[in-house]
Amino acid sequence: MNKLQANLCLVCVTLLWSTEVIIFACIPDSVVPFATTAITSMIGGVLLFLCFFKRIMAALKNGGKKLLLTGVLLSVLNCGYNVMYQYGLKEFDVSTGAFTISMTVVILPVILMMKRQSVDKKTWISAILVLVGIIVSYLGKLGTISVPGLLMMIGGCIIRAYYIIRLNEAAREFDPVSLSALIAVFVGVISFIIWFVMQPATFGAIEWNTQIIASLFIHAYFIVMFAQTLNIFAQRNATPAAATIIYSLEIIFSLIWGMTMPASIVTPVTPDVFMLIGAAFIVLGNLSEIVSFKRKAVKQL
Amino acid sequence: MKREKRSPLRIILTVGALIVAYLIVSVPFKVMEIIPGFTDIRPVSMLQPVYGIFFGIPGSLAFAVGNLITDIISDSLRWSSIAGFIANFLGPFCFYLYWGKLSRTPFDLKTMKNILRHIVVIIIVALVEANIITPSVAISYPEVDFGLFFGMVMINSLAFPILLGIPLLIILQEELGLTPCLSNRNKRAENQ
Repeated sequence: MNKLQANLCLVCVTLLWSTEVIIFACIPDSVVPFATTAITSMIGGVLLFLCFFKRIMAALKNGGKKLLLTGVLLSVLNCGYNVMYQYGLKEFDVSTGAFTISMTVVILPVILMMKRQSVDKKTWISAILVLVGIIVSYLGKLGTISVPGLLMMIGGCIIRAYYIIRLNEAAREFDPVSLSALIAVFVGVISFIIWFVMQPATFGAIEWNTQIIASLFIHAYFIVMFAQTLNIFAQRNATPAAATIIYSLEIIFSLIWGMTMPASIVTPVTPDVFMLIGAAFIVLGNLSEIVSFKRKAVKQL
Repeated sequence: MKREKRSPLRIILTVGALIVAYLIVSVPFKVMEIIPGFTDIRPVSMLQPVYGIFFGIPGSLAFAVGNLITDIISDSLRWSSIAGFIANFLGPFCFYLYWGKLSRTPFDLKTMKNILRHIVVIIIVALVEANIITPSVAISYPEVDFGLFFGMVMINSLAFPILLGIPLLIILQEELGLTPCLSNRNKRAENQ
């Protein structure tokens, strides 16, 4: 996979993540988010194991304890930032919350610098453009921003940035399919424990119907199995900073869904001037990362 | 690289496995209405280029049979399903025809030029399918809004193969090692 292909895959992953809200809209509110995560991650993990059993077993034989520990660490980080986002986002309206999540773009290169890893000049330019986009989107709502919510979101972004860096390293070291399967299973287990604490009746508390079952399977196929595995494969051929910049496109997709989908599915968004300018900066940041400005492309061997 | 000649039993098993994969993806979308009023969302269309390019005629057949079985399961088997069967066979077959027979270069999506060529094929396939299915529905069900129906077929046949199908093809070829069905000319080109 070359850089162009990796970038396309990352855009696809971001698009799939943005559709999560549409799938969640088909699941009643009585099903707690941890239940959804636990069930869909388990289904995704088990299906990956069934489809790639030999490959995963071979990877476990080679990677052994280190692969398992990496899987556990990544799953804990994944659950950690999702919990912080879940509570942090309650303090924001949908659109400002989506812009806030993109702060990872700025935090990640700083963490890389602290780890004494180099970051491309082009990536810095993209990160700054995205940051400008986030700040501009805030301009119309400065008075309404909740400080505890913002701190919670920054905490979530720091954990997510660290997760992306570790995932990028792990993707280069281990087999992506095996890593994806392990992350799915461990995230499923961790989410199930939290779900059990919050709702001891677990599966018995859900009023099952075909709509819920179908939604859970769709989430398992597209978000857990496909997007997660695609993400790890793409991360192998992209830098963590470049990947995070592409992830920031999620806001643009969310804005599109908010403006086009019925109110019964997604909270409607009527973008103001600041949001539109902010979104434009984010697109610009992405373009400067994805598009190669060199005259001659380096041929892949 | 020499491609093994497949036995009839292996072809039957491949077709069976492909039908199962089709049903796993398509059935959940048939039992639920995700967007009210927009009843037929078919992300399974993302598999169309995969079935055609990597599995050729058996893949095309599996796609058409998978669609027919989905119609039966979801209680939507009508006379227009015959046109649906033909269109769903021709869709993957067009990808096979272009990348396996007509194209001078073997299939890959490594360059923007090849990606654009692939998108053009997707557009042609979408037009072929919409022009086969819509008239048959128009004859069977005069009460249906044809413009809307044509638009829905086009959206399904364009959006999913482009947005999800292209990354899937990249992963299958570049990372999971699937080899496309090639014509003799392309086999020679690949060997050189």
